[in-house]
Amino acid sequence: MTRAAVRRCASRIVAIATVAVALACAAVPAAAQALTEHATLSASFSPNKLGTPTTITFAFHLSTSEGVAPPPLTAMDLQMPAGMNYTTTQLGLAICQPAELIAKGLAGCPANSRLGYGSAEVEVPFGTGSGHEIPEIQAVAGPSPTGNLSVLFYANGLYPVDAQLGFTGEVLPDSGRYGSQLSANVPLVTSVPGGPDVSIVNVKTSIGPNHLTYYKRVHGRRVAYKPRGVSVPERCPRGGFPFAANFTFEEGSTASAQVSVPCPPRR
Amino acid sequence: MRDLIVRRAPHMGMAGPHRPRRFALALATMLGAALALPAAGGAARAHAARTISLSDSGHLHLTSHHGFTLNEQGSASGSISGTIYLHLNVVSTNRVTAEINIYPSGGSVTGKASASYHPSGALATFSGTMSIVRGTGSYNHASGSGLSFSGTVARSNDAITVHVSGKFST
Repeated sequence: MTRAAVRRCASRIVAIATVAVALACAAVPAAAQALTEHATLSASFSPNKLGTPTTITFAFHLSTSEGVAPPPLTAMDLQMPAGMNYTTTQLGLAICQPAELIAKGLAGCPANSRLGYGSAEVEVPFGTGSGHEIPEIQAVAGPSPTGNLSVLFYANGLYPVDAQLGFTGEVLPDSGRYGSQLSANVPLVTSVPGGPDVSIVNVKTSIGPNHLTYYKRVHGRRVAYKPRGVSVPERCPRGGFPFAANFTFEEGSTASAQVSVPCPPRR
Repeated sequence: MRDLIVRRAPHMGMAGPHRPRRFALALATMLGAALALPAAGGAARAHAARTISLSDSGHLHLTSHHGFTLNEQGSASGSISGTIYLHLNVVSTNRVTAEINIYPSGGSVTGKASASYHPSGALATFSGTMSIVRGTGSYNHASGSGLSFSGTVARSNDAITVHVSGKFST
């Protein structure tokens, strides 16, 4: 073999190796890369008035420093401020059975089991674009085998995530600045049958009487009314009412976020 | 079961030949006896400690609520019947404390309780223990601990049904 032939052969080998390395890198799934997850949290009371029944709205956004979708979410804890008053709330006067919820959606649940509603955005790991919305998330009161307040979440996904998803959160006592926490394990949601799991990117949910209608019997007639919500604490700590959230992802990584609801203006 | 506790005044001396000295001695004895008498009870007055088996149910309605406390009033029936007042304080999402006052004829009994609290649907249930902390009238020396304390809260109108049972002494 001449020197020229050897050079041609060597350059061909380098080119093939380069292509192979590039293909190998492209084949590594995003989840296997070292990602740094971030979370942001927002929360509000409506109305935001000391000692008054309210609707709590919270929203979170999950992202990564690398700009790709975060790994699938597997658990979350939402810590709520101390002094939130559950004593006289009428939310969840009826119980929704999980099997009925999954089979029939919200129609399978008593009206008086509704706690709130919301929506979510998910990323699907194939080329249909990002930011697919799950327009319907419902929160209803579920059975509480452990004795704690139980919240059933129901998400009704449409194209491209065609899945009806139900999972349970428990309201547990907390300590210090936080009086209670809503703790939930989030099941993995496959994008398509046999396909990879979707990543949750945005969630916004309200818990409280806004836009809810309950019913009761008065002299044999069915009367609609607005249930009394959980009450805003009677005192506002310096810096506002603290909320915090902790998120756990499929790979075991975590992210957390804090936010405060401003103290209501004094009269 | 009845335990009888009797306090007696000291025996006083009789008059004799040395009257002034004996009179002074008798006076001193009387004073000493008077000082020795217990404040609450007179000579030969007795307190009988009895044990009462309590098994009472109360049906109460909300009269007011303040913060985490439901203030309720109703009637108790069972071992001791009368008006019942309950202050139920929800201290966390799954615990309550309570003060119960029952007013049977001739006195009152006050208890303090701590219980787990489980809201679920239309009813919240609570279950724990109660101590008798004081009493008045016929139940003046009421005391006891480890009594059973349980009940339900109807979440639509905060009406409470409570059941207490166990033994206490008075």
